[in-house]
Amino acid sequence: MNQISLHNTLPLVFAQRSDNTSELWLQNVSFERGHLYLIEAASGTGKSSLCAYLTGYRRDYSGAITFDGRDIRDLHNFEWTGIRRRSLSLMFQELRLFPELTAWENVEIKNQLTRHKSEAELTAWFEALGIDEKRNTRLGLMSFGQQQRVALIRALCQPFDFLLADEPVSHLDQENSQVMGEVMMQEAQRQGAAVIITSIGHHMELPYERVFKL
Amino acid sequence: MKLLWKLLRQHVSIGQLAGFFLANLLGMLIVLLSLQFYEDVVPAFSGEDGVIKNTYVILSKRIAAVSALRGEAQTFSESDISDLSQQPFVRKVGVFTASQYQVYASLSTGGIGMGTDMFFESVPDDFVDIKWPASATSHDAGQMSEVPIILPRTYLALYNFGFAQTKNLPKLSEGVVSMIPMDIRLRGEAGKEMRLKGRVVGFSTRLNTVLVPESFMQRTNADLAPSASAAPTRLIVEVKNPADDAIASYVQERGYELENNSLEAGRATYFLKITAAIVMAVGLLISALSFYILMLSVFLLVQKNAEKLQNLLLIGYSRARVALPYQLLTIGLNAAVLLLAIAVLFWVRDWYLHRLWQMFPALSEGSVNSTLLIGLALFCLVSFLNALAIRRKITSISRPR
Repeated sequence: MNQISLHNTLPLVFAQRSDNTSELWLQNVSFERGHLYLIEAASGTGKSSLCAYLTGYRRDYSGAITFDGRDIRDLHNFEWTGIRRRSLSLMFQELRLFPELTAWENVEIKNQLTRHKSEAELTAWFEALGIDEKRNTRLGLMSFGQQQRVALIRALCQPFDFLLADEPVSHLDQENSQVMGEVMMQEAQRQGAAVIITSIGHHMELPYERVFKL
Repeated sequence: MKLLWKLLRQHVSIGQLAGFFLANLLGMLIVLLSLQFYEDVVPAFSGEDGVIKNTYVILSKRIAAVSALRGEAQTFSESDISDLSQQPFVRKVGVFTASQYQVYASLSTGGIGMGTDMFFESVPDDFVDIKWPASATSHDAGQMSEVPIILPRTYLALYNFGFAQTKNLPKLSEGVVSMIPMDIRLRGEAGKEMRLKGRVVGFSTRLNTVLVPESFMQRTNADLAPSASAAPTRLIVEVKNPADDAIASYVQERGYELENNSLEAGRATYFLKITAAIVMAVGLLISALSFYILMLSVFLLVQKNAEKLQNLLLIGYSRARVALPYQLLTIGLNAAVLLLAIAVLFWVRDWYLHRLWQMFPALSEGSVNSTLLIGLALFCLVSFLNALAIRRKITSISRPR
């Protein structure tokens, strides 16, 4: 997948609003593979909605969203499964991890599916992000900041053209978010993928090529 | 798969699944047992090898008061017989031929003499359950010095337990009776007369009449009563299956009468069939209800784990893959139910077969193949419906809003 485009897209809940100042809603905007984007949003501007639309679990918008020119409303279930497994990786704001499993199992459940990373590579990430000693801890017992790092590793252990990270460092300090940014960009560049990061304030210091205000 | 199961087994209710398991086991067992019992027991009531081997029925025309007074003949016409012969349940039809002359039989032993007017009847030899002496069937009636006679076994019983008992007469065994020589006098048209000896050669349980060989009857009728026509009043019919309902309805429709309760077996089979069908229906109903319990339980499980399932789909799992653990769970349960039901079936069958063999030693056990096949078919059907319902439920919770 090389391009994600929004064509006059607007969440249905915003249909009554007249004061649209968004640089994404009701615009024609494209995200290209290989680039780095930041979407800055205030609360209630539809950031979570945008992520839900792009991941295919909500459709309550007007206008169109296309992947390589194909309207995503027309995608079949099996196509979504393929896209989520091979083209579009997501790091959710609410993480969507499994609290019953350990940190390692949370990553493993994805890596078993994609068989993308070796155990050594995963271990290296756990070490780099400072959560290696927590790998056998049940996720439910970890802090949100630690969970965010597990979520990042899970998002990275698959092939992708686009990585969509929804507020990835909201609960991390400057130093940890810096390390996370490095790990993320390293893998994205290795795969030649685009990274789209959203933020409502605190965000990683990265050389963004384009910043949208939502 | 291990991780997926670790995740998705959350909220699995052992109580609900045990409830399903027991209910389904009960339903399956009832269905299979009723089928197998039917399979094992019905041959005892029907068919040639059955315990009740009565494949012969005796038909007569119903004697109504009015027609008897009018003197109408209660005989079967040629067309009655040919119509009967063409019925699908009939193997062959034999005609009772009555003697057209008077018969007087007397016996004198040890100075006591007694005699009585009587009659003879004959049926084709292959309908008789006692073998005639070889000489009887080849003899020329004219030269026949001794006529073999077959009496109904009930006559002997009637004499021994009724007559002899009250009159202080000696009881007679079959062997003794066949040693008593009889003097028989036949008197036909125009004073024609024939005297000969008679001897009882056997007792029939099938035929309730005084029987002489067919060839003897034809000769004597021709000799003594050449002008009389002998239209049959009774027919003996060999039927393919006395349990066939068609016999009873044909007899009813034509206004005939069945001489003995030869269709009792047919009625018993019919009731057995109905009972087996009702029991099977109950079993199926219980199975259906247990299926419903399982579906409710799995739906509840899927609903409780909806968020996990959604998350799995969002990280790239397919619906088929996340449905699989639940499908395997239900299929595994169904398979366990089937195997256990079959095990219990064999155990129970063993028990009732022993009882049946005590009653009917000749009973041959039915085949278990069709029961096993139906059990397997039921398992496949239920598992398929389970799997389908689970897939649909997972699709429904993952549909985008």
